[in-house]
Amino acid sequence: MRTEPRTILNFLSNYFDIIKELFDVQLKDGLVRREDLNAILAEHDSDILNKLIEYKFFKKIADDFEIRPMYFKFLEFILSEFKPLLPETIEKYEHSVTSLFKKIKEGINKDRNILLQRISDLNNEVRDFTEAVEKNTLRLIAETKELKSNVDKIDYREKVRKASFWIDYYITPLNTILDVSNSDSITNRLLDISQYINVRRLNFDDEMARQQFEKLYVFLVQTNDDLLRQSKILTNELLPLIERIRSESMILTGWIEFLKNPNKSETPFIPKSIRAYPYNNAMYFNSLEYVQQYMQNDDVYLEDPNLSASDKWIFNKEFYREQLMKELPMTNFFEWAGITLRSEYEDIETEKFFSLSTLLFEDDIELEFDPTADRQVIRTSDMNLRVPKIKIKRHGLS
Amino acid sequence: MDFPRYHKEIVGDLLDGKFVLATDAKFIELKNNADFYGKFFKETFDFYLDIKSDYAYLISEETMEMLSRDICIFIGLLCYELDKEGKNFLDEIQYAEFDAEMVDSLLDNSSYTDLILNNNQLKNSEARKQFLGTLNRRNIIDRNSDKKFTFTPAYKVFMDFAKNFAKGKLAATNTEEDSE
Repeated sequence: MRTEPRTILNFLSNYFDIIKELFDVQLKDGLVRREDLNAILAEHDSDILNKLIEYKFFKKIADDFEIRPMYFKFLEFILSEFKPLLPETIEKYEHSVTSLFKKIKEGINKDRNILLQRISDLNNEVRDFTEAVEKNTLRLIAETKELKSNVDKIDYREKVRKASFWIDYYITPLNTILDVSNSDSITNRLLDISQYINVRRLNFDDEMARQQFEKLYVFLVQTNDDLLRQSKILTNELLPLIERIRSESMILTGWIEFLKNPNKSETPFIPKSIRAYPYNNAMYFNSLEYVQQYMQNDDVYLEDPNLSASDKWIFNKEFYREQLMKELPMTNFFEWAGITLRSEYEDIETEKFFSLSTLLFEDDIELEFDPTADRQVIRTSDMNLRVPKIKIKRHGLS
Repeated sequence: MDFPRYHKEIVGDLLDGKFVLATDAKFIELKNNADFYGKFFKETFDFYLDIKSDYAYLISEETMEMLSRDICIFIGLLCYELDKEGKNFLDEIQYAEFDAEMVDSLLDNSSYTDLILNNNQLKNSEARKQFLGTLNRRNIIDRNSDKKFTFTPAYKVFMDFAKNFAKGKLAATNTEEDSE
């Protein structure tokens, strides 16, 4: 019993998730294996195999299944997911179109019905050809954009492999087929045909054949526009895009190789900063002034001080510490230091004064001073020291 | 003898290792007098002047200069890390605005740790900040703010270098394979 078309469409709609997965499997593997089918049905908890066979969706091949071409093409079309045709497969249309065209020319004055049939067949072949080209272009755009966006984060080597694959096997050959400047391209063949048909549509005797020629001519003109558009997409968009991916990966290969040992690799260019050292225009006079200082040298005599080791003053810390301890508590440490030194020497030498000052750091004394109080000036042999008044007492005793 | 307009600035910038960009009025003057400047730099300093469609710079035979090596390492690392993140690094370098913190994050998480830590210009955030200043002075990057920058067309020099480097390596590999 023939199934209602609406029932089939409803079925496809209700189970579209499953249908789409089956389509993807066949797009990838060429058929749907029994285990893949079972897995998909189990995942969706659904048993629609009988319906798939009843609606002639599936054709059984041994234990496996194949989606029938009508359904497959329909799904390809509505999903815009086309299996790309190899350019050589597309090229076969050149032979069929050329052959039909040759037959039309040869039989132009022979049987009318055969002529009409040949015109119609030529129309169909050209349509199939343009559809195949369009499908391939759409698929190539999708593949290239996927590569470019790299959502799957594939390795750059894989990316360049895929880019090279699409360029070498699909894009370049397809471009050759469509290239207007190539005299052997199908596009040029179709142009030749349209010129011939253009004449026939105007002057052919038979009215019916003239109408067919007219229809074919209009279709060929439209096809020519379509092919030019496809060719432009390939030339202007796909080739640069995919070349860019290839170039990008080449650059990355270069960086990875360079980074393996950057210090041993020659960097080939230098935007080097150059310093200029010009001479000042006053250089002569400046130099002369400088040199003149040494033109007249007075003799300088240095007397040997004849110092012996015993003449050198050595700070007897213990002696002065005892002196200090005897005087405690005292109200002004630096005054004491000055008086002590002056009692022994004529001048207070700075070095000696500082040596005595180290007594302030002894452990068993306590220091006290008022930071706001006036400072006292002690004159040493070569400087005036402004020092605070520091009170000292023995540590722990009042 | 009449000298081209901006002669002093053109010579000064190029000798300072700057890239003269097409957006700069000096570039037109330089391009219009390409022959003169080519001879001038060759005869005077033994430098080769390279004028591309959107930038010009000086090249010397000196190969021990460290800055260009550091720039190559920096851009190489940046490309590698951007690619690792699944980005199209060429597009990023050509069009995107970079953030110093983002660069820090990329380099700090890079697997090229030894290379980065042993490079005085790239070893840490502070060093990188100085380094970006140098790149800015040389017109290799354009600072949009204290932390944000974009690459100028001068980046192409480094991409060409990497491409040629890869070609050299691939050619060497093929020669080795052929001789085996």
